[in-house]
Amino acid sequence: MTQTPQPSSRQVGRYAYDSVDRTFLKQRVDQFRDQVRRRLAGELSEDEFKPLRLMNGLYLQLHAYMLRVAIPYGILSASQMRTLAHIARKYDRDYGHFTTRQNIQFNWIKLEDTPEILDILADTEMHAIQTSGNCIRNVTSDQFAGAAQDEVLDPRVHAEILRQWSTLHPEFTFLPRKFKIAISGSMQDRVAARFHDIGLLARMGDNGRAVFEVYVGGGLGRTPVIGTLLTSELPEEDLIAYLEAVLRVYNEYGRRDNMYKARIKILVQALGAEGFREKVDAEFAAMDRARYHLPPEIVEAIRARFGAPVFDADAAQAEQALALRLKADPEFAAWVRTNTHPHKQKGYCSLTISCKPAGGIPGDVTSAQMDLLADLADRYSFGELRITHLQNVVLGHVRQDHLFELWQILQLNGLGTPNIGLITDIIACPGLDYCSLANARSIPIAQKLSARFADAGLQREIGSLRLNISGCINACGHHHAGHIGILGVDKRGEEAFQITLGGSSGDLPSIGQIIGSAMSEDETVDAIVRIIDTYLAQRAPGEHFIETCRRLGTAPFKDAAYAVA
Amino acid sequence: MDRRNNRRDAEGSSVVTANRLLDGRIVWLDPAGKWQLSIAQAQTFSNDGMEAVLARQTAKAAEDEVVGIYGVQVEPSSSGPEPITTRERIRAFGPSVHAAFTPAWQPLSGSAGV
Repeated sequence: MTQTPQPSSRQVGRYAYDSVDRTFLKQRVDQFRDQVRRRLAGELSEDEFKPLRLMNGLYLQLHAYMLRVAIPYGILSASQMRTLAHIARKYDRDYGHFTTRQNIQFNWIKLEDTPEILDILADTEMHAIQTSGNCIRNVTSDQFAGAAQDEVLDPRVHAEILRQWSTLHPEFTFLPRKFKIAISGSMQDRVAARFHDIGLLARMGDNGRAVFEVYVGGGLGRTPVIGTLLTSELPEEDLIAYLEAVLRVYNEYGRRDNMYKARIKILVQALGAEGFREKVDAEFAAMDRARYHLPPEIVEAIRARFGAPVFDADAAQAEQALALRLKADPEFAAWVRTNTHPHKQKGYCSLTISCKPAGGIPGDVTSAQMDLLADLADRYSFGELRITHLQNVVLGHVRQDHLFELWQILQLNGLGTPNIGLITDIIACPGLDYCSLANARSIPIAQKLSARFADAGLQREIGSLRLNISGCINACGHHHAGHIGILGVDKRGEEAFQITLGGSSGDLPSIGQIIGSAMSEDETVDAIVRIIDTYLAQRAPGEHFIETCRRLGTAPFKDAAYAVA
Repeated sequence: MDRRNNRRDAEGSSVVTANRLLDGRIVWLDPAGKWQLSIAQAQTFSNDGMEAVLARQTAKAAEDEVVGIYGVQVEPSSSGPEPITTRERIRAFGPSVHAAFTPAWQPLSGSAGV
């Protein structure tokens, strides 16, 4: 590690690269440029080239190549967002798609342009490394990291430590299957920690250093599993050693004969929680702990490479200005209620900008919108943006007296939808319109549901509800974790949809259960409407959908869904 | 390659498809053995001869600069062959959600393969 950069060179919320990082990225681009040249010259076959392009995030999808760009723990600078806008405009079809791993995908990339695109990304300290393949993928974190009122410690510091540990880790480059880690530093799990291969919930220990709850073997996909608590007392100094032990056990015992049984969740189920823990403990005990020791000096050195905002608002004045606006404009007040989150600094809040307008495509953002978001970040949030795993964009630190003018700008640009946490805040994967694995289209049914429930008053009446849509059993749209989930299936070449109910991520995780046979797209939309009508008719005062669902079970909703109109 | 995409009835007819190496765009084999960007220009083969056609084309995939060759069962329509599955109709005619992003988003002319 080189010297800690001066505060002026650090960007708020982002880890500052040094010359070693930048040189490495450029070397990696040169390497891929040569691999593409050899492929186009016929020196590499497709079979030889495919794993090389996948290591650089380049998939061949239904219509074209798709490039998945990493956004470490979802944090972007305004200049990085402008780079993404430039790529969308020049090399794609003028838009990008934010994903449930806080990354961005471009759907229409040309192989021959890819080295140039990666070079441009490297200029703003971005890349597509480990966005594909059987390696440790982008570590995800809380979209309100470093800002949330309920945060215990900023998880980005440890997310960055994990990023550095896992990037090009020679032992874990060819795991049995992909591996996903999420980390939260809040009292409330906003990262779906128990649905990850490893989920970490950080808290502050008695000695002032972080302590972690470690969940392992959670996941969605073909076999949805809630993660097992492996330890609730992992001290910070052993974070790397312990995770290294978990990965070693997985790497040694994980199945490689059947890709559908290769994820760590299958191994944990096969060994049992105790059996898996014993193997991890044995590996941990045999390790050279000094080598993997994470001392406080390193943690603090990493922390020092993150820029921190300098809050300058007069809190009382900012709160008073907001209160006056809230009183004067009910529409604005409704947006503030749904789209803002309490900030630890008085006079500020975190703002979630919905990428899900009525009838729109969840997570799709045009290049013009990306440029606007970058400008707004510069003007209102210290030049920093966050991509959420719910496919929205967050400005982390917004003065409360700036919210009204921000809202007006967002409204003019299709980004002012007041629906965060409501039924039209839908997660949807790209589905069969773009993905070569999908069985059914996710986007059109999301659009129909979004249009059907577009009325803001109706959405508020329905209240908190998570609706997630996946175009196949791989569950990129997290349908199992949705209060209402929709799963696209293939019925002899035609698409159909199953409904799941009762799923939830967060502190009370549960896996949604399929309520019956698959239906057509329009039948499914009508069935969801009847399910919502049933909820509105049968809920107890103050109950949210998931609570009514837990109280009543799925039977009344199933009856409604399959009722003949 | 996903075998779902290569399913064919014993009877019926199919066309041959692939992705172009350089830009990934979907192409269709025409009667002259060239790869075209429009399925309307594709040659239709009887399903009982498809394995031989696919073997022949796969052997020259590198030369043709295409990848992922497979057969798509079709039915005739007034505008040319039409795939029988939703998936292949989306490949042939473009995504159903971005109205502008049809195969004709980039010019079809002057872009034929070998």
